[in-house]
Amino acid sequence: MNVFPNALHVARREYLFRVRGRTFIITTLLLAVAVAAVTMLPTFLGALGVADPPEIAVHVDADDLSSDPVTAIQVALTAAGDPGGVEGEVTAPPEGDGARVTRTDDPEEAADAVRNEELDGLLTITRGESGDLAFEYLGDANPMGRTRILITQAATAITVSDRLERAGVSAGESAELFAPPDFTATAADPDDARDEEDFGGAVVLTYVVVILTFMAILTYGNWVAQSVAEEKSGRVMELLITAATPRQLLTGKVLGTGAAGLTQYLAMIVALVIGFAINGPVSEIFGVAGQLPFTLPALEAGWVIAFTAFFLLGFILYSTLYAAAGSMVSRIEDVQQAVGPLIYLAMAGYFVSFVAMNIPDEGWVKLVSLVPFFSPYLMPARMLLSNVAPWEVLVALALLVGTLVLAMWLASRVYSAGVLLYGQRVGIRSVLRATRVSR
Amino acid sequence: MSLIVDSVTKRFGDVLALDDASFAVEPGRIFGLLGANGAGKTTSMRIVLDILRPDSGRVTWKGVENTELPRRTWGYLPEERGLYSRMKVGEQLRFFAALYGVPDADARSVVDEWLERFRIPEYLDRKVEELSKGNQQKIQFMAAILHDPDVLIMDEPFTGLDPVNVRLLKEAFLQMRDRGKTLIFSTHQMEQVEELCESIAIVDRGRVVVSGALRDVKRAMGRQVVRLATDGDGHGVEWLTELPGVTIATQREDYVEIRVTADRDPETILHSALERGNRVTRFEIADPSLEEIFVEHVGRRAVDEEEEHLASATPSASDGR
Repeated sequence: MNVFPNALHVARREYLFRVRGRTFIITTLLLAVAVAAVTMLPTFLGALGVADPPEIAVHVDADDLSSDPVTAIQVALTAAGDPGGVEGEVTAPPEGDGARVTRTDDPEEAADAVRNEELDGLLTITRGESGDLAFEYLGDANPMGRTRILITQAATAITVSDRLERAGVSAGESAELFAPPDFTATAADPDDARDEEDFGGAVVLTYVVVILTFMAILTYGNWVAQSVAEEKSGRVMELLITAATPRQLLTGKVLGTGAAGLTQYLAMIVALVIGFAINGPVSEIFGVAGQLPFTLPALEAGWVIAFTAFFLLGFILYSTLYAAAGSMVSRIEDVQQAVGPLIYLAMAGYFVSFVAMNIPDEGWVKLVSLVPFFSPYLMPARMLLSNVAPWEVLVALALLVGTLVLAMWLASRVYSAGVLLYGQRVGIRSVLRATRVSR
Repeated sequence: MSLIVDSVTKRFGDVLALDDASFAVEPGRIFGLLGANGAGKTTSMRIVLDILRPDSGRVTWKGVENTELPRRTWGYLPEERGLYSRMKVGEQLRFFAALYGVPDADARSVVDEWLERFRIPEYLDRKVEELSKGNQQKIQFMAAILHDPDVLIMDEPFTGLDPVNVRLLKEAFLQMRDRGKTLIFSTHQMEQVEELCESIAIVDRGRVVVSGALRDVKRAMGRQVVRLATDGDGHGVEWLTELPGVTIATQREDYVEIRVTADRDPETILHSALERGNRVTRFEIADPSLEEIFVEHVGRRAVDEEEEHLASATPSASDGR
């Protein structure tokens, strides 16, 4: 019998029922807001930093310094994130409402101010007995605190230039000394993706793809199993199975739930795009650098199609089996037990792909990336992080499609037998026995 | 050219649910399927509907195997009622109609028509869970017939309905039959079968013990029933036992029910009564009741279980198993 008209009726019912549900609407909105918030995070953090810039007092008890340490610390605190900022010649502090670093001649009063939280820190610079500069910092106890780390770095730079000065090296000469080396690296494999500038972006994208695939399988696959079990325990199943074939019901269920899941994803993607779009203007308002620290790699259309295919086929493969698992239980409480093996399978692929991200060209990774239940994670990851021959992608897709056909066949048999079995404990054996004579 | 269930056997593990079961249903008739719990009624129905495959045997409708027939041939009211409880009535009925290939515009008008007939048009946009059990059952019945099936199969259609709704449902049955539809139903209530069914089958432990036209089944019992009431003390009926081929079945306050073997003329009882100077206020020759036939074939044990089940199952139709 033709699968489609009825599968679409089932899918339509499932979809509308899902997306009209209050839970769905609330969850989707929350997810969208969360995603938008994450994209804006750099800006928010920057804005928070600007709103409350650190105020540091510096007491200099060594009058033989050639350059002003206050300026050096000011530069270090303001130009944070720019690794070259503290090195070499100290320039005038950059404009903007960065950190406020002031010189103080009354360390006692400044120390009291720090204890009363009017100041964020007090740095005292003295000339030690060995001739080196000695720094004493009073402030936040957290050794990982941003301000403290930056001041430590500035102290290092000041000490080094002071030592050079005393050794008779001029400021200009020391700047030359610290100029970065002329270093060029060439990859042995000219096509190696890691050589490219947007590799950081590729890693981020890999995380996104793997996590989205995993979440889709776990969340929406579970919806499918849950929904089948509900129909069974609510006894609608007997009507459904009289009106339509198990194949139609199964296909419709997977498509309808999948469409609802994609709707939720779409909402998140829209939130993501909006987040990125308004990130620039918003960061300008706050006067901070809100850009993400990476650029996304430009993807060819073929790659995008392949990613989409892996995502959809992987999702359909898993949720078809989720539907079969859901059909084996009589009570909704037993669903989790029935889908357990599928969850473990999905998790195995998920964790393997994190291991594989660092070694995408290892022999076993290449092999596992062709295996149907793992390829939806691993192949896109490899495609982003390494060089994958088109035939590998095609073989993985072909195996995935073949497995899907098999899974569909098996699932509709388990389903047609399972939906009429009540009372039994979850057991693949009783279902398989019933399978032999089902339609 | 009828619905033929031909030597169907179905085994679930160690349990023989159907054992070489055969019966035939004439098109355009109402057919009653009787049997104790676990006798194999539901299994027979599921096999006819091809949602369960038999181990051996086959089912044909007008000469075509049921596996080849389109799904819309059948309408089914399962014993375990079930609808999407959080879906609206109209939307839900149109969904099931769509599965059977009914165009949406047609489905809308048929839904309205039936809601009107069952006197619940105001429930069109209500969720099923907001309806009473009886009204849910009407919706369930509508879900089975919206696509106008040739054969309507119903498992215990009357349980949980009040007398008014039982009558509405019976009227719907008769009307469908008059339109040439074939109806098969199982029930515990013998009087419904006596009132509606032209033919029956009695199933016991997976075997069809008797089937055919109700009248023939009754005749085949080889005996008649006489109900006799006489004016007087009412206790002087011992003389009846002296008559050949006569046994007293039940002795009630208002009359005595007597079984007479087929080779005796029941009228001899009337003559004897008059000869003894009684004034006869009631003398009735009847076929044996269906209940008697059922007891005869299935045994007293099954009937007791039946009553027990009825008593426990009446409040809720979906108690699971």
